[in-house]
Amino acid sequence: MGDKPIWEQIGSSFVQHYYQLFDNNRCHLGAIYIDSSCLTWEGQQFHGKEAIVEKITMLPFQKIQHSITSQDHQPTTDGCILSMVVGQLKADDDQIMGFHQVFLLKNISDAWVCTNDMFRLALHNFG
Amino acid sequence: MFDGDYDYLIKFLALGDSGVGKTSYLYQYTDGKFNSKFITTVGIDFREKRVVYRSNGPDGATGRGQRIHLQLWDTAGQERFRSLTTAFFRDAMGFLLLFDLTNEQSFLNVRNWISQLQIHAYCENPDIVLCGNKSDLEDQRVVKEEEAKQLAEKYGIAYYETSAVDGTNVSKAVETLLDLIMKRMERPFASADQNATGTSRRSVTQGRSGGPRPLGRRRVKS
Repeated sequence: MGDKPIWEQIGSSFVQHYYQLFDNNRCHLGAIYIDSSCLTWEGQQFHGKEAIVEKITMLPFQKIQHSITSQDHQPTTDGCILSMVVGQLKADDDQIMGFHQVFLLKNISDAWVCTNDMFRLALHNFG
Repeated sequence: MFDGDYDYLIKFLALGDSGVGKTSYLYQYTDGKFNSKFITTVGIDFREKRVVYRSNGPDGATGRGQRIHLQLWDTAGQERFRSLTTAFFRDAMGFLLLFDLTNEQSFLNVRNWISQLQIHAYCENPDIVLCGNKSDLEDQRVVKEEEAKQLAEKYGIAYYETSAVDGTNVSKAVETLLDLIMKRMERPFASADQNATGTSRRSVTQGRSGGPRPLGRRRVKS
């Protein structure tokens, strides 16, 4: 871990934290967003911490489990971190589906927050 | 998998709440088996079957058989993440609407599924067959046959009690739906055409823009 670039370390810790919260207590995800954060969830836009948490909390399943297949992180020229996650998820007893998620992380007063978040299921022959 | 020789390609969608047995139902229909641990291949979630359709003319004579390539589509559960949109219903010509006879809520949600269909399908009165699934679990049944029949009657659709486990009525329901679709396609002039309840039915080709064209490619002329 020590010899990994810092953005890799921050990005992967964020990813681990995010999905752990999502799978166990997704109503607490508000802690990682700020009032100017944007979420695009399956093409639908949400702006601000409150709207984002409401959307995620209201998703109609009881249990969800994410499994990360791969994650990539990059430093941006303005000091942020861009992360892309590819994985699979299982909601309640439904079949397993693939998904992609992209995060932009920004350091604001010594804390990393998520300013941008985009989520898509990886389904191809469905509308 | 199949050669390209068929008269019509017909796409059906299986709808209904999560857990009512849509995947097992389709598996039973296409493969004649019940598989409680159906493993899906993400991205190609439909099953296919070839059938021959013979229409019964008014004189009772059967016409030449039409070779039908049936595609049966299932949802992958994406309705939990987003609402199903017009794109999902695109090109579907008939709908198998399933509920679970042992789950009251799945029966109550049939009304919501029908409203969704009325909004998103190719026309306001698409062809639907209602299936009360899991009829093999008679001791756990909570939805009475009479209640389900009344609901189906209210919407003017056919109702079957089915079992993906033992196969009861599984083919029967699909055949009924196919029959409705083929009859709809045989009616080219919607405006002059009235169904039994007096509502005008749009023909397949005159549905809303982008509505199902019979995906038939008459590759082989007879």
